[in-house]
Formats: sequence, structure tokens, C-alpha cells
Amino acid sequence: MILRAEGLRKFYGKFCALDGVSLAVGAGEFVSIIGPNGAGKSTLINVLTGVLRPSAGTVRLNDRDITGIGPVRLARLGMARSFQLVQIFPDLTVMETLQAAVVSRLGRGTRLFASLARDRAVEDGALEVAELFRLADKRHTLSRQLPQGDKKLLDVASAFALRPEIILLDEPTSGVSTADKTVIMEILVSAGRRIGLKAIIQVEHDMDIVFGYSDRIIALHQGRVLADATPAEIQADAHVVDTVIGRKTARPAGSR
Amino acid sequence: MIQHVVSVLMSGIFHASILFLVSAGLQVVFGVQKIFNLACGSFYALGAYVGVSAVQAYAAAGGPPAFFIVPLVLGGLLIGIVGVVVERGLLRFVYDRDETFQLLLTFALVLMLEDAIRLTWGTSPLSTGGMYLVYGQVRILGAAVPVYNLIVIAASLAIAVGIGALLTRTAFGRIIRAAAGNREMAEALGVDMRRLYAVVFTLGTALGTIGGALVIPATAAMSEMGIELIVEAFAVVVIGGLGSMRGAFVGALVVGVLRAVAISVYPEVEMLLIYLIVIAVLVLRPRGLFGAAATAT
Amino acid sequence: MTGRLGLAVAVAAVAAVPSVAPTYHVLLMLPFMAYGVVLLGLNLLFGYTGLVSFGHALFIGIGAYTGAFLTSNFGVRSLEAIVLTAALLGAVVAAPVGTLCVRYVKIYFGMLTLAFGMVFYTFVLKFYRLTGGDEGTPYLRPSLLGFGLEGIPKTDYLTGPYYYYSLVVLVLAAAVMWRIVRSPFGLCLKTIRDNPAKAETLGIGVGRYRWYAFMISAVYASVGGALLGAPIGNVDPTLVYWTHSGNIVFMTLLGGFASFFGPILGAFVFIYLEDFLKSLVPSYWRLIFGALLAAIVIFAPGGLMGLVRRAGALRA
Repeated sequence: MILRAEGLRKFYGKFCALDGVSLAVGAGEFVSIIGPNGAGKSTLINVLTGVLRPSAGTVRLNDRDITGIGPVRLARLGMARSFQLVQIFPDLTVMETLQAAVVSRLGRGTRLFASLARDRAVEDGALEVAELFRLADKRHTLSRQLPQGDKKLLDVASAFALRPEIILLDEPTSGVSTADKTVIMEILVSAGRRIGLKAIIQVEHDMDIVFGYSDRIIALHQGRVLADATPAEIQADAHVVDTVIGRKTARPAGSR
Repeated sequence: MIQHVVSVLMSGIFHASILFLVSAGLQVVFGVQKIFNLACGSFYALGAYVGVSAVQAYAAAGGPPAFFIVPLVLGGLLIGIVGVVVERGLLRFVYDRDETFQLLLTFALVLMLEDAIRLTWGTSPLSTGGMYLVYGQVRILGAAVPVYNLIVIAASLAIAVGIGALLTRTAFGRIIRAAAGNREMAEALGVDMRRLYAVVFTLGTALGTIGGALVIPATAAMSEMGIELIVEAFAVVVIGGLGSMRGAFVGALVVGVLRAVAISVYPEVEMLLIYLIVIAVLVLRPRGLFGAAATAT
Repeated sequence: MTGRLGLAVAVAAVAAVPSVAPTYHVLLMLPFMAYGVVLLGLNLLFGYTGLVSFGHALFIGIGAYTGAFLTSNFGVRSLEAIVLTAALLGAVVAAPVGTLCVRYVKIYFGMLTLAFGMVFYTFVLKFYRLTGGDEGTPYLRPSLLGFGLEGIPKTDYLTGPYYYYSLVVLVLAAAVMWRIVRSPFGLCLKTIRDNPAKAETLGIGVGRYRWYAFMISAVYASVGGALLGAPIGNVDPTLVYWTHSGNIVFMTLLGGFASFFGPILGAFVFIYLEDFLKSLVPSYWRLIFGALLAAIVIFAPGGLMGLVRRAGALRA
């Protein structure tokens, strides 16, 4: 098991956002977290990525307690994330964004007098990710001038540039046209394979994507895990289908 | 001994009364428009100079000294209209910009007003002389306190109460509080932000100019008074909490009295002590005594 | 490369000034160069890290007072010693001040830095036995590279050896800052400026890097302060007043905070414009300056360099 969460509880005053959530993700798994709005998905992601301290429970990464350690230390430990609302560095180019991630990964952030432009390792690392995400030809474009779909890709790409073991994607295809969604997913999966990513967790609303790519689906409802099973099993679970998915969107378990 | 304490205390409270007025102006603008107006001290100075001129003109026209406070206050109040000019003519262009740029614009205003004042009134200090003594003095526990100071303290208190009533009991006050709490929501509910901003900024300016006018009989109008006061007003709103009227009231008392005490006991320390408190507040409780949560990383 | 050529021409032009320009203008170049150093540091904080300090006059003051104390009270006249001590003291003060300040952003950062600046101002003003109060402390003529140069009249010293010394310091400071800005460290600063939350998820510790930037900018300001004080000959508290901090931010904005050389250009234009206006309209030069700052903020927030870029883009 790469990531293991146990008994996560999070209270905002009296409101309970997470009520005893436990999950485990192992090597080679693609896990989707689904659930209606308000189910606690964002809170869960923030707790899993150490941004939020849970009121109770632990999160372990490769058996190391990472509960609430914060995003900075987490990034060094091999877990990366992307955001639901696209997060970019508006005044940096694509290349600079990816270089920043590689600089951080290689621990070269405190090199004050070295030339960034002449750093081969950083340059190559950034270029590699740019190519995997089909952004290489736009690599000198300012991030804020990219079309929305590319901004999304860049956001995810910068997380990948950290060469994490496990990555959490918060709605990787939200705000993107249907045609682009599949493209993004394909790029994601193949890039993951290339950089040695061991597991992917995503929060997704688009059921086609969810059923098309997941090994396992975790359905969240009102802060609790309603179901944690394979797509086929989820399909068969009428309760989950009613509560979370809705009959109309439910699809037969697809192949990848 | 007790006489000395009372004297120091009264001096501190007098200063606090003036500080409250200027800080209240700062707070109402910050609360609604989220702009920290560095020029509030300049408006204070403007009110002071206008006040002097008004009183001097009044005296030259033969007005009875007993009523000198009327032209003083009127002058201070009327010059507050400058707020409309500044808001419509300058400030409104930067509402959509980063706070840093808004702050820099108010700094530009400080520079402009400094010279505008210098051009109009010259560089030597102006005062109304001993005019305020026409109201005489009273003895409080042995200390001689000018009645004028008591009038100012009372006026400031009245204004504080008035502002409180305005904010909590009138429709306009409710609009101000709504806009301060959540601008988008207020707009969505149909509040005309343009007009509100103009009114609020003018109110803030007028509070500053009145404060300046009222202080005049006790001190002279001097060219640096504006840029010196802003540092005190700044301390007041940090201690009291940015955007809070209650904060301006309590903060002004704290700063005013502490300063008076420090001056009488250990003059070197004066503002140093107050600044150390400001830093302590910013570090330990950034939102001050009554403010909303601070923006921290 | 036109950039490098232009730079070489600029440096050569500055170096040529003492030979061709009247003394008055040569002397004006001295504060320009000192402020140039200060602003290189300030802009690392402002343009590259996104933090606006309203208290940087504190560090200018530290540098200037270091020079004054060392020359007047300790008999140390070596400018090298003064600059190094100033840099060291700047760092020593910036360490705790920075630790406190970088935890806050935007207006709270501005307010905290302003408060620290005013604490130092009040300190140097009130403790007159130590600092000379509002009269200040004399900053005696420093020796350059071991040469006392006592024999030379003051003006010749300032327009000659001291001028070139300052120029070398400015060029060195710029060269170092250029490397810093183009380093992996510089890139990390830019990520923090653009999106601190995202920078953190990439493993970049926002607080830590801001602190480094603060430290570096403080050291630069102190060195600039040490250079600034010598020609004046006397260091007094007005150097530390909050309006002085406001002015250096103004200079940065004037030249353009989004460019490396913008602030230096801003220092140059500010110094010359201030001098020009003071002599032309002594009674309302501040009014014009205020109007200029207002115009920049409203119409040209990118400063002069921003306008140049816009003009270039239009032509292309």
C-alpha cells in the first residue's frame, strides 16, 4: 500500500465534513473518488495532501505518517496534486513552470548563483514532461496566454514533473470540452507510465471518465465512504447508483 | 501628584479624541473599500489649516470670540468635500487594482496634498493663538484643564455615538456594513457601489478634516502634521483592528493615553513604545482587538 | 546582442560623466548610484517575489549610520570595512525582522515593514546621545581601497575616486543580482510571486524563500545606504522616515518593477526629475511628483520600462 488513510474525521465547528473515512491505494491502481457536491471530496483531498489537518485519523505514505505535514514537505516525499480550479503561474512560461518543478525535485532551489539556463538536468527534465504532455511546441508561451485545456494540462504536468510516486488529481477534466477530456486522460495515463508513477487518485464527476479508467471507485456521501469497489461492483450496487451516480448516467463497466 | 496624573490623563484623552476622529475616517474607508488611505493624515492637516483660516477670517470680520468654534467646525466640515473630488477624480481608477497600487496612489495623494497645503498657507506654523481660552479652564482634581479640550472630547464622543447609531440603526449604516462584509453580495442586492464609495470616502475624509480643525486651537497647524499623524493613526487601527469602529475608539484611547504617559515619564520612548506594541499586535493577533481575520500566508 | 551592447554603452556613458558633465550633475549621479544598489535589492522583493516593503529605509539607515558610526566614533575609515559591516548588520537585523514580516502578505506585510521602519526612526531620533538625534552623526570621508586621499578637496574626491568606486559597486551589485535572478532560486521566487499556493504544492517553501529574498534585499539596501551617506557627510533620521521608504517604492514603480533594469532607470529619472523640479518650481515640486506617481499607478503601472515595451510591441 502506498497511501493509507485511517479514520479521517474533519469538523468545521459543528459541521462534520469527514466522518470516519478510511481508504488504501496500492501500486498500479487508478482510483476514482466520486460523490455529490458536499460529500466531502475536496476536504478529503486536502487532508490526504496534507493541506488540512484532520480532526482525527491518520494518513500514511509508504508507512510514513504524513498527517497534516503540509504541501511543501509532501512534495518532497513523493506525492503531488493538481487542482480543481486550474492553478498556474500566470507570468511564467510553460517551460519555466516545469523547470520550477524540476528545480524543486532536484533540490536546487537554493542555488543563488548558478545559471538556470545552463542547467542541463533541469532543462531536460522539464522538456521531457513538456513533450509527454504535448506542450513542447508551446513551451515558451506565457502560462496565462494558453487556452484553457492547455492550462489544465500544464497544471497536471507540473505535478508530474515532480516524478511523484502517487498523484492526486482534483477534477482533472473539469471545465474542459468533452473532446479534450479523453485527450487529457490518455496523456495523463501514458505520462504516468513513462515517469514511473505508481498510483493515481482522482476526484471526478464525469462518469464516463470514471468508469473508463478506474481500477477502483470510492463513493463518498455525506463525509462517509459509501462504497469502495471495482467499477463492476459499483454498477451492481443499486444504492450507490441511486445516491451518487444516478440511473441515467450509469454506464456498463467499460474497458480502457 | 494626583493633579499631575489627571493632567496627563486629560491630555491623553484629548489627543485620543482627535486620533479617534482621524482613525474612524481611516476605518470606514478601509472597511468598505478595503483601501488603507495614507492620505488621512493629509486630510487632517487640511482641516487644520482651513480651520485656522476660517477662524482668522471670522475674527477679522469681528465675530465674537465666544463663538469661534462655529467657523472652526464649519470650515473643517465643509472642506471634507475634497473627499468627493479625490474619490471621483483619482481613487476610482484603481478599485480593480492590487492593494499595493491603491496604497501607492494614496501615497501620491500625500505628496500632492503636502504641497497644495504649503502653496496655499505657506510653511510657517499657523495658529488661532489663545482663542480657545475664551472658554476658560476648570479644575479637575487640582489639574487645570481647558474647557475647550472638554468640548472637543465631548464632541468626539458624540460623533462616536453618532457613527455607532448610523451604522447600527439606519438603512445606510446597514448598507455600509453589508458592503464591508461582502462587496459582491451587496452589489448583487442592488447597492450602487459607485455612489456608496463616493459617500463613504467623503465621510472618511470629513472625519479627518474635522479632527484637524478641532485640534487647532490647542496646537498650531504645521506642515508635517499630516505625515506625522498617519503613523499614529496607523498604530490606532492596527491595535484596534482594521475596519472596526470600536477598534478605532479603543485603539485611539490606548495610543493617546500611552503617548501622554510616555511623554511625561520617559520622553525618548514615546512612539517607540507604541510601535513595539504595534509590532507585537501584528505578530500575536494580527486582526487587532476588534478586527476581522488577517491575511496571512 | 543589442541588450549587452546597450548595457556596455550605458556603463561607458556613466563612466564618462565626470569628464564631460558639470560638477553639479556629476554629484547628482552619486545618490543615483547608491539608490540603484538599494533598488536592485528592493525589486528582488517587489518585482520578483511580490512583496512590497514600506520600511526599507530602515536598512538604508542601517547602512548609512554604520558608515557614520564607524568613521566618527570608531575611527574606521575604510569604505570596504564600512560596506561589509553595513551588509552584515543589515543581515543581522533583517533575519528576525524578516522572519516576522514574511508570514504576512500584501497590506499586512507593508504595514509591518512600515512599523519596523518607524521603530528604527524613533530610536535614532530619540536616543540622541547615541545617534545625535535630529542633527545626526557625521559620516566622515572614507578611504578607498586603503588610500586616504585626504589631500584632495572634497568635490574632486567625490567626482573622481568616489564616483568610480560607487560605479564599480553598482556594476558588481547588478552583476550579482543578475545571476541571482536568473538562477533556480530566482525562478522559485517568481513562482511564489505568481501563485504561492501552487508553489507550495511543488515543494517550494514560500516562507523560507521570501525570507531569503528579504535578507538579500536588506543587505543591498544597507550597502546602498553606506554609499549614500558619505557624500552627504552627515546621517540623520530623515533617511529612515516612512516617506523615504515610500519614495524608493515610487522609484521602483517609476522605472518599472517588472524589468531588471527598470528600478535603476527609475532611480535615475527620480533623482534628476526631483532636482530639476526643485530648482524650477521649489514651492510645488512635490505636487508634480505626486501627480506623476498617480499617473503611473493609474495609466502606466509597468513604469517607464513598461511603456518602452508597449511601444516596442506596437511597432512590431
